[in-house]
Amino acid sequence: MFDFKLPDLGEGVHEGQIVHVLVKEGDALAEYQPMLEIETDKAAVEIPSPKAGTVAKIHVQAGQTVKVGHVLITIDDSAVGVGPPPKAAVQPAAAPTAAPARPAATVLTSSAVAPPPVRAAAPPVPPSAPPAKDGPVPAAPAVRKLARERGVDISAVPGSGPGGRILREDVERFSAGEQVARTATAGPVLPPAGGELPDFSQYGPVRREPVPQIRKTIARQMTRAWLNVPRVTHGDVADVTDLERNRQNFNAALEPGQAKLTITAIVTKAVAVALRDFPVLNCSFDAATEEVVYKDYVHLGIAVDTPRGLVVPVLRDADKKSLPQIAADLHAIAEKARTVKFEIADLRGATFSITNVGALGGKFFTPMVNFPEVGILGLGRAKLEPAVYEGHVVPRMMLPLALSFDHRVVDGAVAARFVSAVIRSLENPLRLISLA
Amino acid sequence: MPREPIKLPQRVESLSVLAADGRIDADLEPALDPADLRRLYRTMLASRRLDERALALQRQGRLGTYGPSRGQEAASLGVAYALGKDDWLVPTFRETAGLLWRGWPMQTWLLYWGGFEAGNVPPAGVHDLPIAVPIASQCQYGMGVAWGCKLRGEGRVCATFCGDGGTSEGDFHEALNFAGVYNLPLVTVIQNNHWAISIPRSRQTASQTLAQKALAYGMDGVQVDGNDILAMIVATREAVEKARTGGGPTLIEAVTYRMSMHTTADDPKKYRTEDEVKAWEPRDPLLRFRAYLHKKGLLDESTAGALDAEIAAEIDQAVRQYEQYRQDPAEFLRHMYAELTPELQAQQAELQAYLERKHAPTPAPVP
Repeated sequence: MFDFKLPDLGEGVHEGQIVHVLVKEGDALAEYQPMLEIETDKAAVEIPSPKAGTVAKIHVQAGQTVKVGHVLITIDDSAVGVGPPPKAAVQPAAAPTAAPARPAATVLTSSAVAPPPVRAAAPPVPPSAPPAKDGPVPAAPAVRKLARERGVDISAVPGSGPGGRILREDVERFSAGEQVARTATAGPVLPPAGGELPDFSQYGPVRREPVPQIRKTIARQMTRAWLNVPRVTHGDVADVTDLERNRQNFNAALEPGQAKLTITAIVTKAVAVALRDFPVLNCSFDAATEEVVYKDYVHLGIAVDTPRGLVVPVLRDADKKSLPQIAADLHAIAEKARTVKFEIADLRGATFSITNVGALGGKFFTPMVNFPEVGILGLGRAKLEPAVYEGHVVPRMMLPLALSFDHRVVDGAVAARFVSAVIRSLENPLRLISLA
Repeated sequence: MPREPIKLPQRVESLSVLAADGRIDADLEPALDPADLRRLYRTMLASRRLDERALALQRQGRLGTYGPSRGQEAASLGVAYALGKDDWLVPTFRETAGLLWRGWPMQTWLLYWGGFEAGNVPPAGVHDLPIAVPIASQCQYGMGVAWGCKLRGEGRVCATFCGDGGTSEGDFHEALNFAGVYNLPLVTVIQNNHWAISIPRSRQTASQTLAQKALAYGMDGVQVDGNDILAMIVATREAVEKARTGGGPTLIEAVTYRMSMHTTADDPKKYRTEDEVKAWEPRDPLLRFRAYLHKKGLLDESTAGALDAEIAAEIDQAVRQYEQYRQDPAEFLRHMYAELTPELQAQQAELQAYLERKHAPTPAPVP
């Protein structure tokens, strides 16, 4: 049995109307005998049968509109002796086995595939091999070019055109979204830096692995930050002995379900409040116009280590939130980031970032400013250290802080004052409370 | 200071040998070998049947958009016949009969219409360019080839084709102007089939004939009954002989008619009348040639029937070969430049990656 489907009848024709059905069920059919007359918006055409056989079933009637690919007539081509004799003797021995068994030409002309004349020789299709769904990404060359120019992976762009086709606007929209996302996590594309690598295999065995998208994004954003931001890091240490004691007490008295207060949450609060007094650390520098863009909101990017890599979700309006609220929100966004449940919007719009490597150890480091932000505060591990306290050397809980800043807009003195302000809050919990 | 007509050394003539009603001008009738006449008829018939088959295959979704040449077989066949084996032929897409005469296999021709690069490869020893669709581009290619022939002093000639619509293109003017100035061994044949898609000949140019355009380029022009295979042979032979002996280019207007649609993507009923088409039917080159051969005793009913069956089998075979042809999809980028440009390299890599991702071959759909 062979289902004859409406082929692609001409440039851009997707459907046609059946004008006449020229055969009846049960009719003997010769190859190239006219079966149907179909009118498209270009022409009325007669469709000749591609097979000799018998008309087994007619699926359409006059007046009906059919789309390309629609089954029109089923032909029983099993009987031999109807129409031209089978030419088995002249079939080349190399009837395709692994190769596609349908005539290649139909691939070019139509999605409605005319069957190969040697269909009997076609290999059976294993039921485990359904037609691959991942067809080529439907997008015009100009749209692909745009995507390449913008560094957008076209296969990631949702298409809004007919049949899911990706339109220019889709790429533009996606690209704009990515730009904003990148300002939180990564950055717009730069050409891969560093040039060609040597052949490492001359020194020993190597293997190459393509990196996942998140790593590409991080690499681009870091390169961008490195190339664009004249960065300075200012280091200091906060004595958080009292704070830590209070924190422990606070957490011990929590009711079930309440988020534990973390050092990160407290520093977040302190930073958010300090940023209100230091707008120059809550801005972006527009090098093109040589303007500073001050932001009247404080959204803090919180660096989160996930199994897939670094993600920086955003805590919005951190300066307006209470400490318990910040603790709860931080817990939620970190969880979201780790389980990859975040959306692009969750990564957008930070004005300043905080990164805490303390859980993993480390004292001082030089955080990378998350361009186009101008500052990032890094927390090292808080630990008991010998400190001079009220004239005596005593063990105190010391928290190392490292503020990296964009020296184009932030001077060292401002940075030092900012860190001092944060430290004052951390060393004086009452001050922190009063700020809320 | 008199006012007087300018005498031009070039001529514009009209030529017809075998009239539509079967009468023949005995003075002009070329003395052709009967075997040649039979082969010519066979080729013309094969071209007609192949053309019909191609149309059916397109309707079945087995071939790409197709431009039929029904009714125009004599124009290209006569030219191909008059050319020497070492001469060049630069075709458009309606010279099927001529290409078959030149030795192009049917399956190669089908591969062209199926969109395969392999359809562009002339058979060994045939000095033809591949089919070119862009209007009047052939004029430039042909002129260039003729120029090359002249520079090499090979004594070879190039014949090229365009349509009545093509004569309005800049390419036509530039090519003929060069050919005239450099006295090139070029025969330019206009297949005046009266329709440039939906633009009638009357709207194409105000010139009374297309042949007279030759005068502007300093060459002879001849308006030939393009449905008269004998007239086409006579006119082309003269033009080829002149070109070969240094006499320069000729413009031939073959007056014919496009009996079918422009391509399978249009419907002629929307712009021309059935009556007009019907009026041309008695002038069909195949009917006329068949009657001539009958009268000469070179063809009878039984040989005609055998010929039909033979050609049908030949076409069946060609279609099978065409449909069994496979091509590495990555091939299609490899033929524009000797070395791929960086952009094409990137595209090829992208395609290759996609094909690999898509893993090996797609199994045939099971109806």
